[in-house]
Amino acid sequence: MELAAEILIAALMVISGVFGLIGSFGLLKLPDLMTRLHAPTKATTLGVGGVLIASMIHFAIFADHISFHELLITLFLLLTAPITAHFIAKSHIHREVRADELPPPAGGAAWGCFERTGDGRRIEVPGERQG
Amino acid sequence: MSLALIAALPFLGALLPGLMIRAGRNACAIAAGSATLLALTGLLLHAPAVFRGEVLHTRIAWLPQLGLDANFVLDGLGLLFAGLILGIGLLIILYARFYLAKSDPMGQFYTYLMLFQGAMTGIVLSDNILLLLIFWELTSLSSFLLIGYWKHLPEGRQGARMALTVTGMGGLAMIAGMLILGQIAGSYDLSVILTKGPEIQASEWYLTALVLILLGCFTKSAQFPFHFWLPHAMAAPTPVSAYLHSATMVKAGLFLMARLWPVLAGTEEWFALVASAGLITMVLGAVIGLYKNDLKALLAFSTVSHLGLITMLLGFGTEAAAVVAVFHIINHATFKAALFMAAGIVDHEAHTRDIRRLGGLRRLMPVTFAIVAVAALSMAGIPPLNGFLSKEMMLEEAFETVWFGLPWLLPALATLGATFSVAYSFRLVAHVFLGPVRDDYPHRPHDPGFGMWAAPAFLAGLVVLIGLLPMTLTGDLVRVVAGAVTGGTAYVNIYHWHGFVPALFMSLAAVGGGLVLLGLHGPLARAWDNAPRPEAKVIFDAIVEPAARLARGFTDALHDGAFTRYAAIFTVAVVAAGAWAFAGGGHVPGARETTPVTPVPAVGWLLLVTCAALLATMHRDRLVSLVLIGVVGLTVALTFAYFSAPDLALTQILVEVATVVLMLLALNFLPKRTPVESSGVRRLRDGAIAAAAGLGAAALAYALMLRDFAFPTISDYHLANAKDLGGGTNVVNVILVDFRGYDTYGEILVLAIGALVIFALTEALLRGPAARRLLARVPDQAKAGDRHPMMLVVATRLALPFVLMVGIYLFLRGHNEPGGGFIAGLLVAIGVLIQYMASGLAWAEARQRADWHAVIAVGALIAAAGGIGSFLADRPFLTSSFGYVTIPPFEKFELATAMVFDLGVFLVVVGVVLLILSSLSRIGIRAGETVNVAPMDIDPSAPRGKER
Repeated sequence: MELAAEILIAALMVISGVFGLIGSFGLLKLPDLMTRLHAPTKATTLGVGGVLIASMIHFAIFADHISFHELLITLFLLLTAPITAHFIAKSHIHREVRADELPPPAGGAAWGCFERTGDGRRIEVPGERQG
Repeated sequence: MSLALIAALPFLGALLPGLMIRAGRNACAIAAGSATLLALTGLLLHAPAVFRGEVLHTRIAWLPQLGLDANFVLDGLGLLFAGLILGIGLLIILYARFYLAKSDPMGQFYTYLMLFQGAMTGIVLSDNILLLLIFWELTSLSSFLLIGYWKHLPEGRQGARMALTVTGMGGLAMIAGMLILGQIAGSYDLSVILTKGPEIQASEWYLTALVLILLGCFTKSAQFPFHFWLPHAMAAPTPVSAYLHSATMVKAGLFLMARLWPVLAGTEEWFALVASAGLITMVLGAVIGLYKNDLKALLAFSTVSHLGLITMLLGFGTEAAAVVAVFHIINHATFKAALFMAAGIVDHEAHTRDIRRLGGLRRLMPVTFAIVAVAALSMAGIPPLNGFLSKEMMLEEAFETVWFGLPWLLPALATLGATFSVAYSFRLVAHVFLGPVRDDYPHRPHDPGFGMWAAPAFLAGLVVLIGLLPMTLTGDLVRVVAGAVTGGTAYVNIYHWHGFVPALFMSLAAVGGGLVLLGLHGPLARAWDNAPRPEAKVIFDAIVEPAARLARGFTDALHDGAFTRYAAIFTVAVVAAGAWAFAGGGHVPGARETTPVTPVPAVGWLLLVTCAALLATMHRDRLVSLVLIGVVGLTVALTFAYFSAPDLALTQILVEVATVVLMLLALNFLPKRTPVESSGVRRLRDGAIAAAAGLGAAALAYALMLRDFAFPTISDYHLANAKDLGGGTNVVNVILVDFRGYDTYGEILVLAIGALVIFALTEALLRGPAARRLLARVPDQAKAGDRHPMMLVVATRLALPFVLMVGIYLFLRGHNEPGGGFIAGLLVAIGVLIQYMASGLAWAEARQRADWHAVIAVGALIAAAGGIGSFLADRPFLTSSFGYVTIPPFEKFELATAMVFDLGVFLVVVGVVLLILSSLSRIGIRAGETVNVAPMDIDPSAPRGKER
């Protein structure tokens, strides 16, 4: 049992190490921002996830208690990574790409980055007085 | 009532008018009057004890290490002065209610007045000379506010400045004098000092202390050559003049001379300084007063003259003279306050105070005429009014005193002063009220309502009554007060008819001479106006203005508003001081072993160095420098974690997050690049300064780390006692909320003030010229669409309950494990902050139940309550008590009073971060940015075409 666990932990750590390396390499090597974005978000997330699973197994088998910290870390990683990536992509499109360079989105909608939403609507903020 | 409470009541009362003015002017005056009346009642309740000869004390230890304690004493002298201050204060409050115009901010007036009243009461009740000095300076400051109350009048501002300069300088001298006195006596307690008379007079420092203290008294009491500020202070509203110059401010100097009389008086130096200054002031003030055409200026110089009279009497150093001085203090307060108020009435009704434009008011204002006539005749010393009694006694004392070895000189000069005094008193009545009714007054005068003349009429009544029945009304009071002044038992016998003594003839001569002077007033005034004489204001300005220019030049050279210059001056000074200290002392290499460099710290160190180097080269790009600063902050947090300081690490990370977000928000409205503004040479110079400072700091840190501390640190104490004394195992938290709770309280208040300042600055920014610039601003980048993307919105909504839960968890466990109010507050604030980021200001504020200002205020109050709570158990501020509670089904847990304090900290931190956030966001809205009330810009669940 312990041997199997050790093998599993070792394998997970190697996998995570490999993914971490690939992710970092991709960040360095890929040609432009949109492709480069894939490296850290996908690979590094999986890489860190491997270490976390390994850690959970380690504590369950060898330290005789179940640790939930890793679950929380995973949760936050999974929650924040896509949002970060989304924002990086958004600002890249906003700064570097013109609207006519993009293919039209399906269904006749507009690209969110270029859609002027909320304009023309002024909300009187409570407490703000015009001087 | 405790004496400390009597002194504190006016200060507490000062809080009321500002609030009550919203309920109307009557409510405002009643609030101020009630506080005064309460204090006066408390004082009078002690009067029987004082008349029995007791001396009451209230002692509160404040800073015993410095000899500064809040000790109060009440004896006869204190009773008289406190009674005058509070009693006349009450009359002034009534009078001012009707005197002030609708356009005058009355709340401010009463606040200033109450502050002043409190400071004066403090002076006369202090039993500790350091405490007395504090109140003394407070009177200078609050009288500055009162004299300059009409801010729109240049005379008011100049008069206030002059009064502050003169009395403030005297106050500084007096601080030195009092410290010397305290050193000689070995105590700062008046009760002790007053028993050390012989030691003090024998000391070689006696003369120095005397001169310095007298400088303070003379400036305050407008004695020659410092008499000139008082007439200029007449630009104040009349209630102020009546209060400050009849009973209070100018009498503070007299009070102090009387208070210290047993210790300082009786020597030749005392006589030479005090009696001479008093005599000169008396004669000079009376002469100048006669030729003043402004009613209030005439009264001002007459005040100067009478103050001189009292000073002179105190200067004689005999017990009999002290009795007369005390009696005249009472009399002068009654008739002079009445006269000032009556002058105010004339000014108020006729719209002028120029005596040349008045006359014949007797028929138009009979009530005012009666008041003025009584008070002025008393001032002239006409029997049987009270001024006659004290003047007669003064002349008698003067007759028996030899000055400069010439027995006739002092009586002659005193009679001369009295003559002029009679002349201006008669002139006041004759030229203002007698004569034919004129038809060219600026405003047709008539008697004012009862409210306005009630106060002076009451005082005029006192003038008559004291004059008729001096022994019945004031005999005991004068005896007790004079006993307190002289430190013995005084013999008091006041009566009208002394027989055919020299004083009677001097008095008769004065009245006769005064009538002659009045008869010849026209030609004499013309001669006076043509005679060359020094103008005090010109001389004052000639001294003050170059000094101010010099000071301004010096300040401008050092502090020209450029932060870089302050920083350079500061840095160079510190480096120079360090280098000087290093060169002066011997250097021994540190004895500690250096620890080997391990990989983890090395990486952190490399990160820090790289970021610092990058910052130095790339600081012009503000976004990049913000990122770099963030990296530095996180590395520091990691360092804390590495050195096992989880509390610090947590705080650092959270602070870093909040700071970067807020700075990003501010950067939104600033240029993204810092322009190059300084020349190459200058940058080279600044670089050299920075390098010297950096290397110096590095060398210092290196040298320190190689040594053991020279003294045992306090850490061991904290570690050993956190559990026993503070009831917590998290030493950091126990230090914050218990051991150094006072510091924490101060710090959260600073935080709160900082947030309010940011709010005020942005509010100001939203109005003035900056607002126009903001409106005209062209953003340096195109605006992005979809500002509030769905992903972020959903994620932050999901995160909020978790963040709050973790925040509560950190808060609750804070006393024993890493966490606490500060950290929890930051965390919760960031949890709310991301809601603002995700959905925008308008959406977030629409869901905000509490005002952030209120959150800050409630937090500060809760923290204060948590600290004060320990007073109830008779323990020092913020002593925590704790116990263990078991509520099934939970495990046993600890409750500590420190948690209440921590809750306050928590609320303040939350409020501060979010107030700053919403202040900065407002700028964007003012600049024309749109905000949306919907949670997100593009809502995929909404029907197509109707996206928000």
